[in-house]
Parts: sequence; structure tokens; C-alpha cells
Amino acid sequence: MSAVQTPTIPDPAGHETLVGRHRGLIALTGREVARVTKLWQQTIAAPVVSSFLFILVFGLSLGSRISGVDGIDYDVFIVPGLVTMAMVQAAYSNNSSSVFQARFDRYINDVLASPMKSWEVNLGLSLGGAVRAVIIAVVLVLLALPIVDVPVREPVVLVLAVALSLVLFSSLGVIVGVYAQSWDHASFVQNIVIVPLSFLGGTFYSVDTLPSPWQEISHVNPLFFVINAVRYGFLGVSDVSVWLSLAVMAAIAAVMVAWSSWLFATGKKLKA
Amino acid sequence: MDHATTSTPALELRGLTKRYDDGFLALEGFDLTVPAGEFFGLLGPNGAGKTTLISAVCNLIRTTDGEIRIFGHDHRVPGARRLIGLAEQDINLDRFLDVEETLLYHGGYYGMEPAHAKRRAKEMMEIFDLSAKAKTRAPKLSGGMRRRLLIARALMHEPPLLILDEPTAGVDFELRLDLWQYIRRLHGEGTTVLLTTHYLEEAEELCNEIALIRGGQLLARDSADGLRAHYGVDTLADVYVKAMAAAA
Repeated sequence: MSAVQTPTIPDPAGHETLVGRHRGLIALTGREVARVTKLWQQTIAAPVVSSFLFILVFGLSLGSRISGVDGIDYDVFIVPGLVTMAMVQAAYSNNSSSVFQARFDRYINDVLASPMKSWEVNLGLSLGGAVRAVIIAVVLVLLALPIVDVPVREPVVLVLAVALSLVLFSSLGVIVGVYAQSWDHASFVQNIVIVPLSFLGGTFYSVDTLPSPWQEISHVNPLFFVINAVRYGFLGVSDVSVWLSLAVMAAIAAVMVAWSSWLFATGKKLKA
Repeated sequence: MDHATTSTPALELRGLTKRYDDGFLALEGFDLTVPAGEFFGLLGPNGAGKTTLISAVCNLIRTTDGEIRIFGHDHRVPGARRLIGLAEQDINLDRFLDVEETLLYHGGYYGMEPAHAKRRAKEMMEIFDLSAKAKTRAPKLSGGMRRRLLIARALMHEPPLLILDEPTAGVDFELRLDLWQYIRRLHGEGTTVLLTTHYLEEAEELCNEIALIRGGQLLARDSADGLRAHYGVDTLADVYVKAMAAAA
């Protein structure tokens, strides 16, 4: 006859270190980053090549025939917008596809059944896209540097703008991944919303050059503020006050974080 | 095997109700107590509420009403979930991870220290004969290997309550016997096991106590001998047929 002891729950707060208290979050983040690196041809190489082609074609080939914008050479002017476009698309598409796949194959149950807190699951799933976006941005800038001389005039603004855009689009990706019922839903937001708004947000031109009412309409495009904030960080120029851009980004990012937190806290759409 | 149990049950459900968003009532006011150290079987037809019950215990569905306690702890406390190991009915392995990574990441999700997780993963791969496939991704494994990995994953963090939802569905006879042997040994070492199965001989072979459920209601619970005596029949199959017919 064997006696059965009543098990006690180890108190995570009793761990001496921060790492010990959040091993689940670290493991989930590691899993999301491992997915990015295992699929590097698809997750890193493809977006870098396509964005770099824009720099080559628009910057070097056509750039010499287009006059500069705000006193900046055209091949330099487009780099921040292209970097932004690649980053936000990567952060969004990574998280929407990773979360949808995990729901579709139901291996997300292994995470939901674990002792992780809801905010840890949300954050862990979000960080994969953010890491992927940063890798793409760094590689893209390094590749562009030998061809075009892109300065970083406002590093603090650049860091803030990149951080806010990653929070915004990583969370949006997680939200869409939770709601999506098919792959089409996830790609719809990317192809019909994010890509067109990136193009119309001033990636390739200054919105100031647009006639009315297109100039005013551009100001309701969130990507306009994202692109301008990042461009200000690189080049020190922007179509709108950089503080307004950062404020708009912070407000939208806060809404996205609140929304995704609510989904994980309540289990809505994640659990039947 | 006889087990002494503590007064705190491994699993306690009080008034558990689950109504899905489409209005389907899967469980209504369901009460169940599984004593610690028990090998407990849940039998019932498809749609009886077995998987809903397990999903509710493991935080995979939102319950409508009721209380769930794991070794006396409210199941909503994240730490209580560390006490449960779950092998679901469908194979739900992470397609991007190999065998070893599947076990290591699971250990991480459950708060295991990396060195401990590494040792435990090695042990699990040896026990379940998966060492040769340590670097093979889940989709490339055979059906039997995937089933073994699923159970190894459930056991990775050494849970005192193991929940197996139809663990031998679709596996060959040899693997079924291997799994029976291993699960029996675990139970012998003190792990409480909650098993759902459609194989009546499996329930009879393994379980100390069996509950019959249908339409989200508990019809009867007893040992296999007790159930046969209660229904006045000779086999568990006859018990099943009689109980389900009476509840229909």
C-alpha cells in the first residue's frame, strides 16, 4: 500500500530570481523566436529581398530622375518608409499566422493548460513578431548602407517610434490570429489594409506634395504617423509634428494591447 | 493495487455546467469526486460530455457555472494547473518542434528549470522509445510515435494527476499493451489517473472505479464488479448497454 501525499502548488513568487518566476514566458518567447529562425527563408530572407529590391529599383534606378524631397535625395528618403513597411508587415504577419496555426492545430492548448498567467501568454506570443521585425530592419539597413547613406539624426525618436510600431502591429497580429477562422482572414488584413495603407502613408512620397483633399485624408491613415515618426528618427524630417505621430501611435498601441489582453484574460475566441 | 488516499481529492467538481455559445448544454450541474491515488475511468458515448469535462478541468474551455478543485486548489489559480498532465484525444503536437524540443518547451511552459527539463526529457524519450527520433519534427513521426510523444509531454512536468483522453485510440495492440504497462506503473507510484476510453476492456483492465456518463449526466459510478452487480449482468459491455439504454 502506498500513501498519496496531497501535492502543494509551488509559489512562483517564492523564486529568488525574475527568470525563475517567469520561465513560462521565457520558454514561449523562445518557441516563437525558434519558429522565426527555423523558417528564416520565409520569415527573414523573403521580406528583406523584396524590400531591398524596392531600394535598388526606386532608389538607384529611378531615384536619379526624381528630384529630392525636403532637400533629401530620393534614394535616401524612401529607406525609412521601406524599413517601416517591412517591420510592421513582419510583426503583424508573424503573429497572426503563428497564433492562427497554433489554434488550428490546437497545440496552443499546451500553452493554455500550463500555469502561465494570461499576460505572459499574450506577451510571449507577441514577442516573436517583434524580434522578427527588428532582425529584418537591421539586416535591411545594413544592406542599404553601402548603397545609400542613411543617417540616424534622432536616435531617441527612432527607438521610440520603432518600439511603438512593434507593440501596435505585434498586438494587432495576435488579435487577428485569435479571431481568424481561416488563413484568408489573416492575409486579408495584411493585403487589403496594411500594405495599401503603407503605400498611401507616404513610404515613397511626402504627403505634403498631395493636393487637397488627399493630403487631409492621409492624416486619418495610422501608417502615415508610423512612417513619419520613423522617418524623423532617421532623417530628421517629417510631414507632421513627430510628437503628434508618437502620441497617435501610443494611443492606438494602447488600444491594441488592451484588446489582446482582454482576449487572453477572458479566453474569448481562444476557448469554447 | 490498493492505495491509501489523503482526505483531499485529486479532483472535485461541484455543479459544473457548460453551455456552448451555440446553446448546446454539454454538462449540467455535474458533480464528481476523484480521490487521490485513484485510477478512475470515464465511459460514455460520443457527445456524453467526457472531453468537455476534461477541457473544463484543464482551462481549455470557459465554464458556465460550478466549481473545480485540483487537490483542493481552485483550478483558476495558474499554479493549480501545474498539478495536471493532459494527453488529449487528438494529436496536437507543435509542428515546428522536434521531439526533444516538444518536451523541453513544455517543461519551460510549466516552469521547470532548464537542467531539470533536459534530464527529464532524456528520461521520457528513453521510456517512450523516442531517443532515436529526438531531432525529428512531430509531423514526420509515425502515428504510434506521435501518440507516445503526446503522453510523454503530459508526463514531462511530473504531474500528480494525469488525464488521458482516449490515449489508445487508433494505436496497435502492442503499443496499447506497452502504454497500459507504463500507466499502471505510474499509478502504482502514486499518480492519480483519469482515463476516458471507448474500450470497455481497457477500463476494466486498468480502472479501480468507473463512471458512466451520458448527456452531461452521471449515470453510475463503482468498480467494474460493483457495476455488474448493480445492473445484474455478467459483463461490463452489458452494463454499458443497459445504463445507456435506461438513460436514452
